[in-house]
Amino acid sequence: MESISPFISSSPAPRYAPPWQDLSIIGIAGSSGSGKTSVAMEIVKSLNLPWVVILVMDSFYKTLSAEEHLKAHANEYDFDCPDSIDFDLLVQTLRDLKKGKKANIPVYSFADHQRQSHTTTLYSPRVIILEGILALHDPRIVEMLDVKIFVEADMDVCLGRRVLRDVRERGRDIEGIIKQWFAFVKPSYTRYVEPQRPISDIIIPRGIENTTAIDMVVKHIQRKLQDKSDRHTEELNRLGLIAAEVEFPSNVHVLPSTPQLIGMNTILQNPATEQEDFIFYFDRLASILIEKALDMTLYVSANVETPQGNPYIGLHPKGTVSAVAILRGGSCIETALKRSIPDCVTGRVLIQTNECSGEPELHYLKLPAQLEEHATVILMDSQMSSGGAALMAVRILLDHGVEQDRIVFVTCAAGERGLKRLTAVFPRINVIVGRIEEEGEPRWIEKRYFGC
Amino acid sequence: MASKPESAPSPAQGVGPMYRPDGEKPTATVSKDVSYENVHVLPQTPQLIALLTMIRDKRTARADFIFYSNRIIRLLVEEGLNHLPVVEQSVTTPVGRAYLGVKFEGKICGVSIMRAGEAMEQGLRDCCRSVRIGKILIQRDEETCMPKLFYDKLPADIAERWVLLLDPMFATGGSATLAVETLKERGVPEHRILFLNLIASPSGVAEFAERFPKLRVVTAFVDQGLDEKKYIIPGLGDFGDRYYTL
Repeated sequence: MESISPFISSSPAPRYAPPWQDLSIIGIAGSSGSGKTSVAMEIVKSLNLPWVVILVMDSFYKTLSAEEHLKAHANEYDFDCPDSIDFDLLVQTLRDLKKGKKANIPVYSFADHQRQSHTTTLYSPRVIILEGILALHDPRIVEMLDVKIFVEADMDVCLGRRVLRDVRERGRDIEGIIKQWFAFVKPSYTRYVEPQRPISDIIIPRGIENTTAIDMVVKHIQRKLQDKSDRHTEELNRLGLIAAEVEFPSNVHVLPSTPQLIGMNTILQNPATEQEDFIFYFDRLASILIEKALDMTLYVSANVETPQGNPYIGLHPKGTVSAVAILRGGSCIETALKRSIPDCVTGRVLIQTNECSGEPELHYLKLPAQLEEHATVILMDSQMSSGGAALMAVRILLDHGVEQDRIVFVTCAAGERGLKRLTAVFPRINVIVGRIEEEGEPRWIEKRYFGC
Repeated sequence: MASKPESAPSPAQGVGPMYRPDGEKPTATVSKDVSYENVHVLPQTPQLIALLTMIRDKRTARADFIFYSNRIIRLLVEEGLNHLPVVEQSVTTPVGRAYLGVKFEGKICGVSIMRAGEAMEQGLRDCCRSVRIGKILIQRDEETCMPKLFYDKLPADIAERWVLLLDPMFATGGSATLAVETLKERGVPEHRILFLNLIASPSGVAEFAERFPKLRVVTAFVDQGLDEKKYIIPGLGDFGDRYYTL
């Protein structure tokens, strides 16, 4: 008899890959003082996009022991050999980012030669420029790189730049700098840095002055980004087609069409409605949505006593309810939110739809600390049509450790197709919708609410 | 009426979203069922029960008592307003689509039974900004022990309006009955009166619903019953005191 194969109760949900999941990494190596940083900065400046980030390998220096610390202060510690860098941590960080996960980048203090207790969070870049003398050293990293750049400059120029930089920015004395140069930097160049040259894709001589080379790199990255955008848009369309077939799951709640609700929706949709009235009725409608959303949070039985001493078995909410507004539309709902929870912890995420491609783009993200521990996270948007922004925002919450069933997405109006796509990809999130609107409705509620 | 309906215990059940299995729902005491067509009890959602738990708890300070009762009152007003008539109205939306909606029809006014009923005015105004509000003062007559009308100030055209009558606690219903009779004397037809209430006693609300069959009651909770002093049990103490002075 054959063994029974594992039974899968339901087919897995269609996956949504945000555009930052397939991250491009560009490695820039070269001698100290060759102008790597300037080249990296120039590339970022030319691209002028919020999701291009420079990752400096100096952040991954190992923390020095007491003995090494003394050596470092005497300029006798070799910061230029591969052993001084925590490559394992760097590889892990890059792998996490490549998967679209959030990564904590260590902060290294040159004054104390120590990794600081705090870290910088890096999330959702689409391009990372990894810059360091040994950026192309570790084969595990080289394998992940999309473009390998080697910046070259005359060694005299390198030394000159290094002296200036270390004196100005790192508060060191010239004697120490020269000592370190001849003891470590120069030997290390021959031993570790220079051998990276043949494996690079592009060699940029004269660093920042070489505008032709920088321009080529920028064009290459722009092409890559365009490919990614096209793939993302295509992916969104594909998910929309899959989802069109399914029914709304039971955790999607469309408010019942009561006379008052229809009446409010009529006032809101009437262009003749004054701004003042629009805000009043919008806040009133949003308050109903928020109260409904609070039904989705966790409650525990609670025994209380009334002033006359009678017992009553009721409920208390359990845990924190926080909110995240998808800007700018989601902030329309904040007035209503604060009516029910005046001190609600609120995060914000700015997702803009690219006017040319229609692709949602993440521009800004500020989430409350310990979001993953909150009982409920209310995700707010005034309106959702195709649901690209909502899809991205839910993905962001999941990447920050929030469980699907703790998310309540609240919106005043939603297109059916977008809503189905959202719940097909994230079947366990809760959704509260004021009204199902026509497909492809442009965002107009936030314009009316804010008056611009 | 049964001899001792008041002693029957209130139902306890798992409260939570429909899609959650019963085992995952916390247990709480919910409103008693009322079988009168003109009595509407708010859906017993976990959110509503949690709000009621806050205002029943004697440890809840006054500021919180006011905040949480206002939230329940807004839910009551929203439900109450759904009983008002509307007429069809179609509009062209800002994006040029036709939307067949409705328009609110008829004028309304609030009437609060002093003093506890006045505590509900804020919640009413949160939903109906410039609503007119009349007041009625009813006190117990020391000699007859019956409720007596001491003062009223109502809009002159009240007979043409829908009236939202406000009183948070409904025990025997003496004051509410007298208030409804006062309104009817002023020419308000019974069917245009909506009585908004937080907590009601089962006997009081039953008697009231039978006496005024065309009037509609919207309440958040029908409690277990009345004690020997005719206070609602478990109730929440004196609403006016907790809202205004304690």
